[in-house]
Amino acid sequence: MAFATARSLALKGADGHVIDVQVDVSPGVVGTTLVGRVDKSLSEARDRVRMAINNDCGRWPATKRVTVLLSPADLPKGGTHYDLAIAVAVLAADTSCKDLTADLLDGWAFVGELSVSGGLRPVPGVLPMVIAAAAHGLTRVFVPEPQAAEAALVPGMTVFGVRSLAQVSAVLRGAEVPEASPVVAPSASPLATWRGEDRLAGVDLGDVDGLEDVRYAVEVAAAGGHPLMLVGPRGSGKTSIAERIPTILPDLTTEQSLEVTALHSVAGTLPDGSGLLRRPPWYAPHHSASGASVLGGGTGRVRPGQVSLAHHGVLFLDEFPHFRADVVEAMRQPMECGEVTIARGEESATYPARSLVVLAANSCPCGGFHGLSGGACECSPVQRQHYLRKLSGPIVDRVDIWMEVRPQARMPDVPYAPPRESSADVRARVAEARERQARRYRDCDWLLNAAVPGPVIDARWPLTPEAQGLVDRELADGRLTRRGLTRVQRLAWTVADCAGVPRPGRAEAAVALALRSSDPSRSLPADVVAVAAS
Amino acid sequence: MSGLRSVGGTTEDDRLARVVLSAGIEPGDITTSRLVRDLGPRAALAQQLVPKPDSGLAERLAGVDPARELERAEQRGIRFVVPGDAEWPSGLDDLDEVDQLDHRCRTPGESRASEPVTFGGTPPGIWVRGPMPLTELATSVAVVGSRAASVYGVETARAIARHLALSRVPVVSGGALGIDVVAHDAALRAGGATVAVLACGVDRVYPEKNRALLAHLAAEYAVVSEQPPGSGPTQLRFLARNRLIAALTRGTVLVEAALRSGALNTVGWAEQMSRAVMGVPGPVTSYTSAGVHQCLRRGGATLVTHGSEVLELVGGSGEHLVEVPRGPERPRDRLSAVERRVLEQVPSAATLAVDAIASQSLLHVRDTMGALSRLEAKGFVDRVDGGWRLAGAG
Repeated sequence: MAFATARSLALKGADGHVIDVQVDVSPGVVGTTLVGRVDKSLSEARDRVRMAINNDCGRWPATKRVTVLLSPADLPKGGTHYDLAIAVAVLAADTSCKDLTADLLDGWAFVGELSVSGGLRPVPGVLPMVIAAAAHGLTRVFVPEPQAAEAALVPGMTVFGVRSLAQVSAVLRGAEVPEASPVVAPSASPLATWRGEDRLAGVDLGDVDGLEDVRYAVEVAAAGGHPLMLVGPRGSGKTSIAERIPTILPDLTTEQSLEVTALHSVAGTLPDGSGLLRRPPWYAPHHSASGASVLGGGTGRVRPGQVSLAHHGVLFLDEFPHFRADVVEAMRQPMECGEVTIARGEESATYPARSLVVLAANSCPCGGFHGLSGGACECSPVQRQHYLRKLSGPIVDRVDIWMEVRPQARMPDVPYAPPRESSADVRARVAEARERQARRYRDCDWLLNAAVPGPVIDARWPLTPEAQGLVDRELADGRLTRRGLTRVQRLAWTVADCAGVPRPGRAEAAVALALRSSDPSRSLPADVVAVAAS
Repeated sequence: MSGLRSVGGTTEDDRLARVVLSAGIEPGDITTSRLVRDLGPRAALAQQLVPKPDSGLAERLAGVDPARELERAEQRGIRFVVPGDAEWPSGLDDLDEVDQLDHRCRTPGESRASEPVTFGGTPPGIWVRGPMPLTELATSVAVVGSRAASVYGVETARAIARHLALSRVPVVSGGALGIDVVAHDAALRAGGATVAVLACGVDRVYPEKNRALLAHLAAEYAVVSEQPPGSGPTQLRFLARNRLIAALTRGTVLVEAALRSGALNTVGWAEQMSRAVMGVPGPVTSYTSAGVHQCLRRGGATLVTHGSEVLELVGGSGEHLVEVPRGPERPRDRLSAVERRVLEQVPSAATLAVDAIASQSLLHVRDTMGALSRLEAKGFVDRVDGGWRLAGAG
């Protein structure tokens, strides 16, 4: 038999597709052709594979015509991870090499980039590829050794972490596996967050003094997944409290964990041997960040951006008014649909991006403005107005909770006060509120209140008539838009879920209205805030 | 009863009579307190010990063993302070000088609907738990407000109580949730003195949530009540208690109160006793401030926004004067009317001749010239090529 088929996988966004790598080795004009919509990085595979075979296990069929076909042919293919499948298929198709026959390749998937010496190097996206392989009935996979742990996260998959092409060939033939030197670490460097993640490892909500209403707002946002805006003078604690939001989010569920890990695998930001990411991620792009880094894209491979890496976690946009207008504008899709589509030419990739979006802004350009006196603000009224205009528009309109962060006098500790709540205390309540939502939405596509479509709320989970009356009055008085109405309804549900109330009533609606409103004269009831804090 | 008579006319005898009265009457029993005012405690007690139809008072009074009450109180670290004691807060005597409270701070509709308040008067004595001598309350200020406060109310109450504490002014409030507890807490955190006046015995805790705070107050400062140890709170006792808060202090700050808030009742007493009554305004859309706004509108209360304004109102004349807040002064504020008129017409980009400026500002050239010279001397305008333009414009 002069041809063989090996299976590998292509990634479109975070979705993997099975690719048949078919190789024909037959007499003819000597040469190697690679067909099936391959891009530059993949067409270089020709040379890598030839070298690897010659240097590691046998001989490239140099006197034959080698045709490599990647199908389905309509799917654009790129990346270096097809090397292994091509090499194995060439060896199996070459009749002069009798050890490896085409039938031995059935049921296997091959993922990995080859070095000149035949070593197998790690590639990004192993986890989603292996998930796709499993979904298509493949049960055994070869991956580069450092990524065996990542691939092994997929249930029901037998994973072989290997170091070289020769080892793969030996395993397939059932021969003794030869020694090989360890492969080097992945070449892709992670998209770094702008603050080191380690710095945040030890933070706790218990470190934050006062700010009871902000703490409550953050708890509600975390419980229901509501986009949150924090506005206040510099130094009032906006960033400190935002950084602590991940600490009050419960661990990811297995399903969420796989999704997040797969996204990080695609981006190449998964540390070696880290296994599943179980804690909600935290991403805080700097306001000068490009669209590609925040939303995804980039040259060559379409990489997921920080909105996707923060999937099921927290995306914090500090100094929001300073973000580039195009980036801000493009945030609309992830905030509305929980996913982001990066279209480039005929290629388009969709990544999930359902993170808790937290925005922060100073109350004026210099950040000094607060209170009656204006604080230490040096901005002119025109400058301030111009700045505040940036705090409106489509994204801010999609913010559910608007919270003013006011500077606080220091609160010395007193013996009679209960100890300040730690992140663990709040996290337990958030988890409880999320469980209530999960029970309510068990037959739905969404998990959290913030994602419930407006018509569905009206039809299936209406507020009590008194609560709805209160909200309708706001609408009639022009203090609330239609979009705002839906947001208030969702918020009222979260307020109820946080308090353990079975259905939002007047009190919960009033709290929701106060949370949603940017009007500082709408103050939250102190007992609601204190309940959360005692 | 017979034992009391045999003791004779000593102060100790008066004190025991007051213990009996305090333990036997309902707080704010104005009939009894008027009798005490007019006849003295022993004669008042004797008169009330005469059984009357429709009243169990005589029986209740006869059942009190004052010595045992005092002993029990002492065991719990509670003292009984009566008029004539060095520690007796003289402000409480004012309660004998005012009539019982009407519903001044209520809206007309509500005052018709609610029962008239039938109590008042100086209590026979007060029960105190805590090391702080009540004489220190002479300069104190009450900070009261709604139990259902908003975050705004809490923050404002906190700021005011903190300011008072930092100025060494003791804070007095009730023991309820909301503004009361915030006022105590802020004063304590600022290192100041604060006293809670309760509507139950000073050894009782109501509400339960404030147990730790009340215990701290009793250990470090003072908890006060006109009711004997062991008695519980009732709604009417809260109303009676309010008059003590008003009487013990130099002024009452009302931070947040809905239209029917009990804090309005405290303010009514303060007003009757000519104490300073102060209201912190809230947003006009907020029902939690509607009662305060009603009070301010009626004219009995003074609007305050900051602790310093409270101090100014309760302080002696000339103490704690507050500078009137105003916007920043601009250099142009000091110009004369003519100078300003001329200055308005001087361009910044180009230059303009004197006669053009004069005609545009509808002034005589001579006056315009004079004004321009003065403006030049003050640095507002520059003379350029025979014309004028704004200084610093190029």
